[in-house]
Amino acid sequence: MFGRIRTGIIKKMGIAAISLLTVAALFLGAAQAGAIDQFSGLKGDIRISGGTAHIPVMKEAAKQIMSANPEISISIAGGGSGVGIKQVGEGIVDIGNSGRAPSEAEKEKYGLKLFKWAIDGVGVAVNPGNPVTALTKAQLKDIYSGKITNWKDLGGSDAPITVYTRDASSGTRAVFWKKALGKGDIVSSANFVVSNGAMKTAIANDPNAIGYVSVGHMDVSVAGVSLDGVSPAIETVKSGEYTVARGLYSNTKGDPSGLTKLFIAYLLSPEGQQIVVQKGFVPVN
Amino acid sequence: MNIRLLGGCLRVFSWGAVLVLTGSVLVLLGYLLIKGVPSLGRDLIFGQVDILDAVLLRKRVFDGLFPAIAGTLSVVALSVGLAIPVGVCAGIYMSEFATVFQQRVFGLMFDILAGIPSIVIGLFGFSGAIFIHRYISNDFRPCLAVSVAALAFLVLPYITRTTQAAMQGLAEQTRQAALALGATRVQNIFYVLLPRSVSGILSGIILAIGRCAEDTAVIMLTGVVATAGIPGSLLGSYEALPFYIYYISSQYTDEAELMSGYGAAIILLGVCAVLFFLAFIIKRRLAGPAGPVTGRFHG
Amino acid sequence: MTRATQKAARIVFFLSAAASAMAAALVFGFLLVFGFPLIGGGEFFSLLTRPWSPGQGLYGFLPMITGTAAISFLSIVFAFPLSLGTVCFMGGLGPARISRLVDGFVRFMTGIPTVIYGFLGIFLLVPVVRTLFTSAGSGMCILSASLMLSLLVSPTMIIFFKDGFDSVDFRYIQAADALGADSVQRLIYVILPEAWPGIVTGVIMGLGRAMGDTLIALMIAGNAVHVPGSILDSARTLTSHIALVSASDYESLAFKSIFACGLTLYVLNALAVIAVRRLDGKRGQA
Repeated sequence: MFGRIRTGIIKKMGIAAISLLTVAALFLGAAQAGAIDQFSGLKGDIRISGGTAHIPVMKEAAKQIMSANPEISISIAGGGSGVGIKQVGEGIVDIGNSGRAPSEAEKEKYGLKLFKWAIDGVGVAVNPGNPVTALTKAQLKDIYSGKITNWKDLGGSDAPITVYTRDASSGTRAVFWKKALGKGDIVSSANFVVSNGAMKTAIANDPNAIGYVSVGHMDVSVAGVSLDGVSPAIETVKSGEYTVARGLYSNTKGDPSGLTKLFIAYLLSPEGQQIVVQKGFVPVN
Repeated sequence: MNIRLLGGCLRVFSWGAVLVLTGSVLVLLGYLLIKGVPSLGRDLIFGQVDILDAVLLRKRVFDGLFPAIAGTLSVVALSVGLAIPVGVCAGIYMSEFATVFQQRVFGLMFDILAGIPSIVIGLFGFSGAIFIHRYISNDFRPCLAVSVAALAFLVLPYITRTTQAAMQGLAEQTRQAALALGATRVQNIFYVLLPRSVSGILSGIILAIGRCAEDTAVIMLTGVVATAGIPGSLLGSYEALPFYIYYISSQYTDEAELMSGYGAAIILLGVCAVLFFLAFIIKRRLAGPAGPVTGRFHG
Repeated sequence: MTRATQKAARIVFFLSAAASAMAAALVFGFLLVFGFPLIGGGEFFSLLTRPWSPGQGLYGFLPMITGTAAISFLSIVFAFPLSLGTVCFMGGLGPARISRLVDGFVRFMTGIPTVIYGFLGIFLLVPVVRTLFTSAGSGMCILSASLMLSLLVSPTMIIFFKDGFDSVDFRYIQAADALGADSVQRLIYVILPEAWPGIVTGVIMGLGRAMGDTLIALMIAGNAVHVPGSILDSARTLTSHIALVSASDYESLAFKSIFACGLTLYVLNALAVIAVRRLDGKRGQA
């Protein structure tokens, strides 16, 4: 059949067009699958623990990688930033996530290498049914130190304030304490929750609650409270207007290698950064 | 005080106690079933993956309880498997060979072990893992193996006690007949006593299985994590059903996850119910040849 | 079976028993060694009385001791009448058929996992407590935890009470029947007075179970680190404290103090076991 079509300009152009499109498609396709492709044919496992704010992104990334490569196994645990740093430093996990930059002492003691792949904020949150939606830093300090104990003193209903906080290992808490609370006291009758997810659930279920949670985690189940006029949202974190912000880090002991290196590269790749955006954080690339 | 009045009060009180106790538990379980049954189904366990693919490990299950169920099954099987030989042998020794002094001392130690809060056993397992990590192998860390060992510590007393009770509870004639015919004590144990104690030992094993399946405190500290897939190796992390329930209860991100928590609770409860009925049937078989076993003063 | 095999068998039996007995000592040893920095030097007793504030270098667990005491004792307050009433019911004050059902149900209850009580507590009990008592804040308080815990420990107490009732010398019961006593009189004049060791054992075992439970307190008591002032306050127990701190650290002094916590629980448990064995001894059992 083709023998009958004489080679002409149109056919030449057609072949050229098809070739170009094919090459372009292959190229684009390769670029799309680029980061995941790095994992193909590899096997092993990656152990991750630490910051709880990172978990949604970790889970999605792990899912993508493990779906494409069943030989790879990724396990994810929480525990807070302090745990992540300690465990990666001691060699118990391969990647230790932290919601605050490790201190100089920690970096030196464990020889940590940091990789920041997202920017997040820490916002004050109350139950969606609570009429109070704006606070000043001074009021926040007084609430957490126990000076103000009833919502009616802030223009809300007559009900005692239930204060929620995180444990000492939490990076979210460290950032909140330093930047929002100005290193003020936290009253000893505060209820403790173990992660960002738990904080969200607690606030959503308690009409008189106040707590602090990663901005990326905030959704309709909690109501963000604006601090000195700036409300905690991804836009204000991005623009720098909301100052209670922190980077999301993945730390390794020394330079990462093998699967760990690929995983971190994946986080920083376009696909990884897309997951970051999808989960509600500010990408770094 | 008028005995009739006191008696009447006591009757009312005891009826009230029974009603409050059974009523509260029935309300709780009823609520659980109402909320959780709608979420039961293939999707709860296997997510979007085909059942065959998941069970044959061809595809990973990400949104289902399958990894947690597999994790619980593994940890229970391994830890009970570890505890049975040690526990049965220890029970045999206590029943047949121990001197009075040994019975007192060992018995005390077993009772103490049985009473140690599970979180303390978890702490012990964790410290053991860190010890090995620091001084023996830097690659070692809290993992399936550590949980298995710690859980074995937890349930060892159950198996030891029931083995000892079963063997000591046999009729004297049964215990001594073979000896009278010239058998050694060990022969007596293997050919006469053990076969007749199987029901009792089995009850102990079922108790141990139930305890391992429901335990959360020990595994929380010794290797269970929220996301790990099915347990790949003894030295790796794993998921478990009771931990999933705990984790979801405080950190569910949407209604669907909360419902899966209810579903998981029902599955766990179902496992316990099955074990309970198994134990009940075994008790029936045990009571069969000897006659019904009842409290001596039933109404 | 050869002589050699039999000898080997005896050695295996002995080693198993010895190893199992060593287990309890091993646990104690590890706790001691790991917690040493804070335990050595007589610091242990000061830990029992200081508050918990790692930021200020305070690693005491007084708040947790009061939390454990409050939640455990309150749960026994709730569970004791429930258990005693149920056992009296099963002991004759209730119809025999229903008694058997209740007995079966109680045995079923022993198998209900604590995590399920905690889970249901969060979604069923806590909101109720929150709406009923406005000063309970979030509803996660000592009261909620104790109510759930009482359901958990009741089966244990019932089984031990029943053992006590069953062990009353049958001749006494026959004597009472022969004198024409009805079930109430038999209960009050014969069974209850004779069964008191079983009742005391049951209370101790129930208390031990309540003190040793982690999940219920962890999930529904609020975990605040203060010394609670009322049963509507949020509190933290020794057990949930261990769970919370271990989840977040394992190097610092804060963590090492957890081992002191563990030792406290261990010692409390050992004391309870010894007490119960003494009581059993009074009843004439080895």
